[in-house]
Amino acid sequence: MAPAKTKKSAKVVASQEEDITMDDAPVAPQEHEDEEGEEVAGEDQAPPEDEDTLEQRITVLPGGTEQAASFQLKEEDHTLGNALRYIIMKNPDVEFCGYSIPHPSEALMNIRIQTYDGTAKDALSKGLDDLMDLCDVVAGKFQIARDGYMNSEAGKADQPEA
Amino acid sequence: MDYDPMIMDTEAMGPSVKITEAGSHHVDFELQTVDLAFANSLRRVILAEVPTMAIDLVEIEANTSVLADEFITHRLGLIPLVSKNVDDVVYSRDCDCEQYCELCSVTLTLHARCTGDEIMKVYARDLVVAPLRPNQWVGNPVITDPEALGTVICKLRKGQELRMKCIAKKGIAKEHAKWAPTSAVGFEYDPHNKLRHTTLWYEEDPAKEWIKSKYAEWEEPQQEGEPFDFDAVPDKFYFEVESVGNLEPDAIIQQGIKVLQQKLAAVIQDLTEGDANGNGLNGGYDGPRSPDIAPAWQDQGYTTPYGNGGQASAWGGGAATPYGATPYGQNGANGWN
Repeated sequence: MAPAKTKKSAKVVASQEEDITMDDAPVAPQEHEDEEGEEVAGEDQAPPEDEDTLEQRITVLPGGTEQAASFQLKEEDHTLGNALRYIIMKNPDVEFCGYSIPHPSEALMNIRIQTYDGTAKDALSKGLDDLMDLCDVVAGKFQIARDGYMNSEAGKADQPEA
Repeated sequence: MDYDPMIMDTEAMGPSVKITEAGSHHVDFELQTVDLAFANSLRRVILAEVPTMAIDLVEIEANTSVLADEFITHRLGLIPLVSKNVDDVVYSRDCDCEQYCELCSVTLTLHARCTGDEIMKVYARDLVVAPLRPNQWVGNPVITDPEALGTVICKLRKGQELRMKCIAKKGIAKEHAKWAPTSAVGFEYDPHNKLRHTTLWYEEDPAKEWIKSKYAEWEEPQQEGEPFDFDAVPDKFYFEVESVGNLEPDAIIQQGIKVLQQKLAAVIQDLTEGDANGNGLNGGYDGPRSPDIAPAWQDQGYTTPYGNGGQASAWGGGAATPYGATPYGQNGANGWN
C-alpha cells in the first residue's frame, strides 16, 4: 500500500514539473485570473447597468485560445445552433465549427469554433452577420414571391374576400 | 481551402422562393438554394416561436356548469385569437404594470346563462372583447365557420351560468401550444429519397409499396443503376404552412424570419456589448463544471481519502488548462496547440 502511494505522488510531481516547463502552461491560468479580477471590478463600477441590461447570454467557456474557443449561449437551441454552425463553417477562415446541447433539460447551447486565420470571436460575429443577411434575402425573396403570386391569376382565384 | 467554381456559381444566385399554392389559411412554397440547417431553423421558428395571443388568465366569478373551472379554463386557452400586428402588444413580463394592463393584455368577458328548456351551447363568439386594447384586431376570437359561431366552449342546462373574465396575453408556442400560429408545418425535401436520409421499410419493393409524395414529379427520379452521390446535399425544401387563423400565413413566415433575426441580433448585441464594458463575454463562467475544473492552479485541489495528495483529481488532473482535466482524460495539454 505505502509504496504504491509514494509512486502515485511521485507521478503527480513529475506531471506538475512537466506542466511548468511547458512554455504556455502558466500563461493560461494567469490570464484567466486577470480576467476574473477585471470582471469583479466592472461589476462594482456599474451595478445599475447590469440591472438594466439583460443578463449576459453568451459566455466563453474556459480553456479556449484566440483561435479556438467554445461559446455558451443561454436560451438557444437547434434553431440557432445548426444554422449558425453551417454558416460559420462556410467561412474559409474557419477550420472547425460544431455545436452541442450538453443536456436536454438545460436551455444551453455550446458552439465550438476553431480558425485558421483570425479569432474565433470574429468568426462567430461574422457568422451571425451572415445568417442575418441570409434571413434578409429569404424574407425579401418571400415578399417578392408573395406579391407575384397575389397578382397572378392563381392568387386572385385563391382570394375571394379581402 | 480551394473552391469549386461550379458551386460558387450556383450559390451566387442565392436562395429563391416559389409560392405554389396559397389561401386565406395556408401557403405552400418551395425554398431553394438554402441549406438544410437554415430551412429547418425556419421551420422550427415558425412552429414554436412566432408570437400570438391566447387567453392566459381566467378569473371565474360563477361556474355552475357541469365542467370544472380548470376544464373550462383550458378550453378557453385553446381558442385561437386574432393576433394581427401582435407586435403592438408587449409581453406581460416586460410590461411595467403590476399584473396586466391594456398594453400587454386583452380582456375578454364571458357571461352566459341558460334560461330556456333547451340545452344551450356557449361559443367563442360569446366572448366580449374589451374596447381598451393595443390595436383593433388583437384578441378577437377566430371565427371561420359559416354560421360565425366559433368553437364551442361549454354546454349549459337550464339555470346554469358561466361568468368569467379572461385575460389574453402574448406568448410563444415554445411555452404553451395554445400560442401556436400554425396547426401544422409540412416540411419535405428529396421526395425520391436519393440522399438516403431515410430508410423506407418494405416487403418486396419500396418503390411500389410507398406512395409518392406530390413533389416527386417535380424532381428527377433516381435513374436505373445511378451510383449514389455521396456529396449530394438537399437543395429544395417544400413547406406547407397551415395557419390556425390567428395570423395570416404570409405573416407567419415573415414573423418567423423576424424572430430568427431577433435571436441573432440579441447574440450580436451581447457579443459587442461584452467587448465594450470589459466584462460580459469573457466574464465569469457560472455554468456547471466538473469538480476538478475548479482552478487547479489556485488551490491544492482536494485530497481524496485514497491519498494521491495535492491537485490530482479523481481523473488524474494537474491540468494546465481548465479543460485539460476533463473526464475524457487528456491530461494537461488541451489538444489544440
